Amino acid sequence: MALETEVEALRKVSLFRGIDETKLRLLAFISDRTEYREGERLCSQGEEGDSAFIILSGSANVMVHTDEGEKKVAEVAENSIVGEISILCDVPRTATLVAANDMDVLTVSKDDFLKLLKEFPDISLEVMRTLATRLERTTRDLADARQSVS
Amino acid sequence: MEKNLFRFIWRYSARQQIFIIFVTLLTYPVIYFLLELPKLIVNDAVQGNNFPRTILGLDFDQIPYLVLLCLTFLTLVVVSNGLKFFLNVYKGRLGERMLRRLRFELFQRVLRFRLPHFRKVSSGEIIPMITSEVEDVGGYIGEAFALPAYQGGMLLVQLGFIFMQDPLLGLAAISSYPIQGYVIPMLQKKVVLLSRARVRNIRVVADKVGESITGVAEIHSNDAAAWHSADIADRLYENFRIRYEIFNRKFFIKFLNNFMNQLTPFFFYLIGGYLVIEGNLSIGALLAVIAAYKDLAGPWKELLSFYQMTADVSVKYQTVVENFDPPDIHDVSRLTSDDKVELSGDLTFEHVSFSGGAAGQEVLDVSLTIPAGTSCAMVGPDGSGRSEVLQLAAGLVSASSGKICIGTHDLDKLTDSTLGREITYVGGAVHIWTGTIRDNLYYGLRHRPLSSPEREGEDLKAYKRQIAEAKETRNPIYDLAAEWNDLEAAGADSTEALDNKALELLEAVHIDKDIYRLGLQSRFDPSLNDAFAEKILNVRKKVAGRIAEEPVISGLVELWHPDRFNPSASLAENVFFAVPATPEITMDQVPDLPEVKAFLSETGFDGKLKQIGLRIAETMLELFSNVSGDSGLLGTYSFINQDELPEFERIVRIAKSDQQKSGPNDADCAKLMGLAFKLVPARHRLGVMTDELKAEVIEVRKRFLESVVKTSDRFVAFDPDVYLPPLTIEDNLLFGRARVDRRDARRRIDDVIRTIVEETGLRKPIIFAGFHYHVGVSGSRLSAGQRRKIALVRGLLKNAKITILDDIATSTSAEDKELRAGLRQILQDKTFLFGTSSNEIATEFDQRFILDQGRVSDKE
Repeated sequence: MALETEVEALRKVSLFRGIDETKLRLLAFISDRTEYREGERLCSQGEEGDSAFIILSGSANVMVHTDEGEKKVAEVAENSIVGEISILCDVPRTATLVAANDMDVLTVSKDDFLKLLKEFPDISLEVMRTLATRLERTTRDLADARQSVS
Repeated sequence: MEKNLFRFIWRYSARQQIFIIFVTLLTYPVIYFLLELPKLIVNDAVQGNNFPRTILGLDFDQIPYLVLLCLTFLTLVVVSNGLKFFLNVYKGRLGERMLRRLRFELFQRVLRFRLPHFRKVSSGEIIPMITSEVEDVGGYIGEAFALPAYQGGMLLVQLGFIFMQDPLLGLAAISSYPIQGYVIPMLQKKVVLLSRARVRNIRVVADKVGESITGVAEIHSNDAAAWHSADIADRLYENFRIRYEIFNRKFFIKFLNNFMNQLTPFFFYLIGGYLVIEGNLSIGALLAVIAAYKDLAGPWKELLSFYQMTADVSVKYQTVVENFDPPDIHDVSRLTSDDKVELSGDLTFEHVSFSGGAAGQEVLDVSLTIPAGTSCAMVGPDGSGRSEVLQLAAGLVSASSGKICIGTHDLDKLTDSTLGREITYVGGAVHIWTGTIRDNLYYGLRHRPLSSPEREGEDLKAYKRQIAEAKETRNPIYDLAAEWNDLEAAGADSTEALDNKALELLEAVHIDKDIYRLGLQSRFDPSLNDAFAEKILNVRKKVAGRIAEEPVISGLVELWHPDRFNPSASLAENVFFAVPATPEITMDQVPDLPEVKAFLSETGFDGKLKQIGLRIAETMLELFSNVSGDSGLLGTYSFINQDELPEFERIVRIAKSDQQKSGPNDADCAKLMGLAFKLVPARHRLGVMTDELKAEVIEVRKRFLESVVKTSDRFVAFDPDVYLPPLTIEDNLLFGRARVDRRDARRRIDDVIRTIVEETGLRKPIIFAGFHYHVGVSGSRLSAGQRRKIALVRGLLKNAKITILDDIATSTSAEDKELRAGLRQILQDKTFLFGTSSNEIATEFDQRFILDQGRVSDKE
């Protein structure tokens, strides 16, 4: 698969929706294209996060440590970006990612992603917008959760 | 050592000097006849009468007489030039021999210096002394006696002639000599002093340059470049100033000489003219004297310049030699003696004192006994005298008072041949020699050449000549090509056994893993060890088998296959599918080789490559044109760096408008092809490698194999059944590429290879291959820890009676603790001294001495 197809896939990622094509091509070019077979780990909970993953095809299970061993808490599917939190703020990986089936993944290293943000502020803006949306949703969820508790 | 140059020359070459003078004198009559003959030919043979002439009872008519004289003339020309030629070669050879003797003597003296002396001298100063400073001495030695003898003789003859014509004129001829003889040495003396200053100054410059190179990291990390620049510039100015002074004086001497020489004719004309007018001298005699005086100027000039050269060279000699004669220099037998006494018995210090010349380097009245065969810790921080005590025990430095004995032998009276073989000393600052790991491991076994190689014919002749020369110059006659490794001393009976022993010790000090890795990275020549290459090929097959069997692994590698395109390798590797036979030629340089160039243009594939390069360049320009240069993205990911970007912009522009007459020129095409060759499709994903293109690459690959690789010995083709010497052992084992698009592929594949290597027992030969790893200048390609461990193994291999370690493996980590236990195990019934600053570590040993400020403060 060449850059063009990767750009197609990137365009479907909500985070990159408003970004023009040449920049997406650049993003695709500077990231590493990696294949994962079912059961291989993309990253492990607790380790230092140095890259984000953009899933081009396939899907991954999100697992967290619990007292009864690792437990699946969610699934991330095609055209989504995962692991971006840990490259924006230095926190260890909050979950383990395991390939649920054969996957095609673009890996963006932390340094390159930050360089890209610095170089193209409109990407930063887009990232901010997405994060703000998520925060808003999380806050609402939290409020709902509190309400249901009390 | 002879302080005076002439004494040095006379002492070592008196016979040759006399011979030179003798041959020089022999040339006198030849030259005389050579000058006389033309006169005889013209006056007697051409213009004479009363023929025939009788010579040796034979009658000669005019023509035969002329022929005879001319042939004699020719013979004399040949003889005189032959003599000159012989004399020059002889002098040159003598000079070279004396120079070799001098240089070797100087080097040997460096080895004889006592260790504390090296605190006062630096290598930066000593190196130019031995190499460049004495160079002029060699050229001078051949002339030292012959030139004054020859030119002096000439001068005397000419002077005698003038005096015979008229004593007064004779006096006039030499009238300026006393003045010259008085003034010139005075001026020369100043020049000599300046020369000395210059030599010293240049030494300091050399030393400072050397120091700057050693400490270059410090210069940068402290931003001290300006200070060092100023320092050197200052010294260079000093050098300029001295040289300028020297010039001034030298040329003044020259001026004075010329003036004096011209002044004499002034007296001739005045006095001679007066005498002629008065009728006391014939005009003919005056003209003859003036002619003779002209001949006088030649030798006189030669003698003067000889005098200047003598002054210059002897000052150089003295300034060098005075540095090599410290009063406490070791006797030469300490180096050359080959007597080894067995050092068994207790190590005793009796009231030993030593001063290193600075605070914290002294030992005061230490008395102790370490029983033979026990282990003992010397405890004390730096500056407690610990290191000095250990160096004293190793015989490296001598006590200023007191006595150190092992058994009944006083260490100070022993030579290197005992100390260096019976005692192992490894200090904190180890030195690793430039060379291979093997050279370094067996360094402690190379005391004397043991068995010379068999030599025949030319080889033997050359070797005999070398030995004869060495004897001539009092150089050693040790054979460098001999077997030096003393297997017996190491307790091994064959080279293999020695290698195995070394491996055991490497395992004991935990450096075997490092050497194994170096072995994997090293190249080896299969012609030296067929069986090993065979084994590697076996492992390669096994690896390939395992890869085929296990789908998990097979997804991690792309093996080289003649009919398949390898997307994890560069386009260059895919096209050529061969490696240059010499590892010095990198893959990047291959497209520039003439046969490759010819091949590419012949097949027309260069056009394809240009197109690929152009597409890459276009994509790069498109991707990176909006990126600022300092973002760092361009350098990391693009094929092109920031500086090249405008260049490629231009090339792309030209190429796009190629409907016009001129396309890109040759240099531009080469650049584009260079881009194309660097493409690794699986990594760069530019979409230029279509399936048709891949098929074409395979096609070109086959033609390249047929027309270039098979016909040239500059390439070795990728072939699964052949060991490829230009590749590392590791690459030969895998014979493919770890896929760039699989995470951790390299590491996982390495694990697989390691397991197979261990299963097949190949680990050991790979470690031995690692023995051939070149450690770089002074071991710079090894880490500090590795250097220390290799030095430790080097010491242990010597199998010495007494082992002294200072500041080695002294951490409290589990690994070091294990290492110390291993060392005690290895040195079980030998005397073992261990220097450490930690009391806790010291408790591991049989006995402990605690040192404080040069004194033993406690013992247990």
